[in-house]
Amino acid sequence: MITVYCWLLCLYPGSYRHEFGEEMTSVFREARSALPPALPAKISFYGREFCGLLSGALYAHFDRLFDPAIPFRRLDMRSQFRFPRSTVFLMLVIFAGIVLTIAKASSIVGDTSGSVWPSLVSVMVLMLLGMCTAAAVVVGILHSLRRGGIHRLENLPGHMDSAGSNGER
Amino acid sequence: METFALSEPVLLVLLSLAEQPRHGYSMLKDVESMSGGRVLLSTGTLYGALQRLLDHGWIERVEEDNPARDRRTYKLTSRGRRNLQMEIERMRHLTKLAALRTARKEA
Repeated sequence: MITVYCWLLCLYPGSYRHEFGEEMTSVFREARSALPPALPAKISFYGREFCGLLSGALYAHFDRLFDPAIPFRRLDMRSQFRFPRSTVFLMLVIFAGIVLTIAKASSIVGDTSGSVWPSLVSVMVLMLLGMCTAAAVVVGILHSLRRGGIHRLENLPGHMDSAGSNGER
Repeated sequence: METFALSEPVLLVLLSLAEQPRHGYSMLKDVESMSGGRVLLSTGTLYGALQRLLDHGWIERVEEDNPARDRRTYKLTSRGRRNLQMEIERMRHLTKLAALRTARKEA
């Protein structure tokens, strides 16, 4: 199991693994050695550990890719860029306009050399549905990850004052 | 006072370190004990939280003479302690409010 655990640790970014890898393995080893012999406890432990590793690796990669601009988890405690909800709507409108223009141009060209697009309306509807679904999924994920409300810490006067000074008084 | 909320695992990790500096496994056991076995942190969750808390200066590693890479000790910084106090104050306020509201409802 330690081997599997170490293998799963490879899913983390290299810097994270370098900083916490040995420590995490050591804690896992200790926790494993203290497990009760009952099978349900073991299943629960391994399930929790491997799910925790997978989600932790995912979060670590998100942090590495998007930090510090975009918040991706409820543990985030730094100043964050807020993505206005109206932007999603405006992006959809702009996207629909572009699709409409392309489709219209294609239909004009199609009058002389044959249409590439099967149907203007169906393509637009499909594109819009796809975009709406993707936007809903992204908003849902962001909402669920931020429900802890820790991002509001940035509004704390004490937090703002002490930022950068590492909190030493 | 403005309000904020920490997730339960983070709050329990901070409470665990508020008592004394601890290493990873000790934190896991303490969190489990404090929550009466309800909150069982995985190592992935624990170290994700620790990394965040380190990044934001809420906790720090204890300087040791012979530091072992697989068993580091962490402690709260003054900033972490201050923010923990604010969270506790927020919860105290919330509890008081809840007691008042439920008492009014019963009356």
